[in-house]
Amino acid sequence: MANPLLSADGGATHLLLGNEAIVRGAVEAGIQVVTCYPGTPSSEVPDTFYRLSPEGGYFFEYTANEKVALEVGGGATLSGAMTLTTMKHVGVNVAADPLMTLAYTGTPGGFMLLSADDPGCHSSQNEQDNRYYARLAGYPVLEPCTAQEAKDMTRDGLRLSKELEQPFMLRTTTRVNHLRGPVDFGPAQAPAKSQGFTRNPPRFVPIPAFARTMHERLLGKLEELKEASEKSPYNKVHGDGEIGIAATGISRAYLADALRESGLENTFRIMELGFTHPLPETMARNFMKGLKKVIVIEELEPILENDLRVLAQKEKIDIEILGKDLLPKNGEFSVTMVADVLRSLTGQNAPQCDSCAPAELPQRPPNLCAGCPHRATYFAARKVFGDDALYSSDIGCYTLGLLPPLSMADFILCMGSSISAGCGASVAQDKPVVAFIGDSTFFHSGLTGLASAVFNNHDILLVILDNHTTAMTGHQPHPGVEKTVLGDNEHRLDIAKVCEGLGVPEIRQVNPLNQKKTMAALEELKEMSGVRVLIAREPCPLHARRVYKKVAPMVAYVADSCTGRAECLDKLACPAFYKDGDKAAINPILCNGCMLCLQVCAHIKSKKRGS
Amino acid sequence: MSDITPIRIIMTGVGGQGTLTATTLLAKSVLAEGLPVTSGEIHGMAQRGGVVESTVLIGCQSPKIGHGEADILMGFEPLETMRALPYLRKGGLVLSSTEFLPPLSVSMGKQENVKLEEVQARVAQCTDKAHFLPCQEMGLEAGAIQAGNIALIGALVATGAVPVGKDTIAATIEANMPAKIVAVNLKALDLGFAAMVGA
Repeated sequence: MANPLLSADGGATHLLLGNEAIVRGAVEAGIQVVTCYPGTPSSEVPDTFYRLSPEGGYFFEYTANEKVALEVGGGATLSGAMTLTTMKHVGVNVAADPLMTLAYTGTPGGFMLLSADDPGCHSSQNEQDNRYYARLAGYPVLEPCTAQEAKDMTRDGLRLSKELEQPFMLRTTTRVNHLRGPVDFGPAQAPAKSQGFTRNPPRFVPIPAFARTMHERLLGKLEELKEASEKSPYNKVHGDGEIGIAATGISRAYLADALRESGLENTFRIMELGFTHPLPETMARNFMKGLKKVIVIEELEPILENDLRVLAQKEKIDIEILGKDLLPKNGEFSVTMVADVLRSLTGQNAPQCDSCAPAELPQRPPNLCAGCPHRATYFAARKVFGDDALYSSDIGCYTLGLLPPLSMADFILCMGSSISAGCGASVAQDKPVVAFIGDSTFFHSGLTGLASAVFNNHDILLVILDNHTTAMTGHQPHPGVEKTVLGDNEHRLDIAKVCEGLGVPEIRQVNPLNQKKTMAALEELKEMSGVRVLIAREPCPLHARRVYKKVAPMVAYVADSCTGRAECLDKLACPAFYKDGDKAAINPILCNGCMLCLQVCAHIKSKKRGS
Repeated sequence: MSDITPIRIIMTGVGGQGTLTATTLLAKSVLAEGLPVTSGEIHGMAQRGGVVESTVLIGCQSPKIGHGEADILMGFEPLETMRALPYLRKGGLVLSSTEFLPPLSVSMGKQENVKLEEVQARVAQCTDKAHFLPCQEMGLEAGAIQAGNIALIGALVATGAVPVGKDTIAATIEANMPAKIVAVNLKALDLGFAAMVGA
């Protein structure tokens, strides 16, 4: 049966994840090309496209990083294909270079960039607000607040982008990507044949002489786009009162529930914006006129708030504008938080919070899985280097190695930084530097750092943790994988050969589950100087189970001879272990059969799974 | 939005327990009853054995539940039930599993886990409407330990606290789950339902 997300017909209603709704919106618009680098909270958008790609009429690819994703997407739209490129907010930093110029050239086929922001840092290293990028680069912005809007805005934004030939940003936040709600389907446009490339160097080749004109053209387009935002059904003013409320994105959902919760439905004049940039100035001016004050409800930065301040000053509207005075600049909002603000505006006290007090409880931090090969690599590296080295880490599952007892992450900046930041650390202090990077991250942005490290002859040991997949974001493929859920990777890049090609003088390759050999390789590399690479290769057990259909035939168990020293528990922190009275024990259901523990303690043995 | 009285349900468990499957199943069933529903999930790194929190909200626009906002708390693991108590409004309904999945610090003998009696006592300070069920045991009785979550959904439906019928849940299971696990989950649903009716 064909997947309903690809159905040509409208009329049905499905409960969809926000990210699935984005896929449906693109399908309804007649999407032709989709490119991405995965990253939570955006990942389910490309993952869904990937899963459906055998039956979908579009071209899809996972690229090596976000810059490449946006460049491939850019070339496709310049050649007349309707294109969607997806990434998380920090990915846009990587893609920022082509991002700026694509607004200059314009996008003949239609183009949308999904920037999935993460207020609250649910799975990210920062809370940056990418609406700034949109303003910097000159992209109109759509900010959905429901699954229905995520679908509709994707469709309408892509269509409008094609019509105006300007790139759009769909700016979501984690709550929107990961909410589920009913979505009414419209009819889907079958992907047309791309209209092809029309040669026009003054438009598409930004040498300085042409770029000046291109900038003028962009400014003109942004004026046209103001009209589009004035007319947009996603922007509306309703209600009456002396106080105005303006809200964007998911804050509109919190506002709707807070109004009902506080019984203040008919108290305010409200402006809801979904098409948030460029600002619909006429609408905003008419909204503010006659009001005493406006409260802006938007998560993270005071962007709409500042837009309104500028407009009020320009139009000489005497009005108090509040926002970040009342609500935080960090983290997510909640219904209660917004309701409390509404009550305070009308002179009411917030009701006593009727919640139950939190208790001091054992924490449940995420942990490297049972059988994770990274644990074995870290265990060996700690044995060889202990506290005498500086550990430069990177972005991925293996970041979890920062937790004790492994404690193998001293600093991280961003994707790929383990190598380059490690080089910087090696010149500025005396301890040896051991850097860790995953295979997907290596292809994402380790290559350039490694080339630079070799060229500058840095003193660094790089350990590439090759688990054959992008495990952190849900097992997406990358250039080095052997196999994907859709089949073999026929164009696999061999990491050892890549390192060799980059001029790394010393390269060793081990299976980290073999502790003796891994330790020996680390000891050997420890004695050397310059750039050295250890590739620790062993598939992620979750990936191996799903793609290689491989389950280890044996599991570990603790023999009766266990002396209760609990070294295995204290040093490995494997989630399959537990303390049973005075002794250690292993849960056979959780054990993935990696057999690392057998090499750590003589009292641990193996037996056939299920016996 | 309709004039339905809003109901906010928070669900919590440990990564890998199937908390999100249960959440989606319930949300789809609410939609099948013709009611406005929004649901949310926060996982991110939680797949690696961390805490998973998800929500089902009937008659609301927001997918998020703040402290003191939940009408119903469903805990698929008792320690997580206790951790999530601040989300519950005083006097709300609690349905919880009684079977612990100890966090690593407890397995390693570094920290003491709370006892079920402590969880129950703490819950009793917040509400007198609480039900504790051996979900894993019920899942196993139905045929698979993972089906314990559906038993808890069965118990929820039996309380009458949500405007969703048991038949609707059963139909959603049949329509959305792989054929080979439908029977097990239907049995778990019955077991959870029966446990409450008998209570």
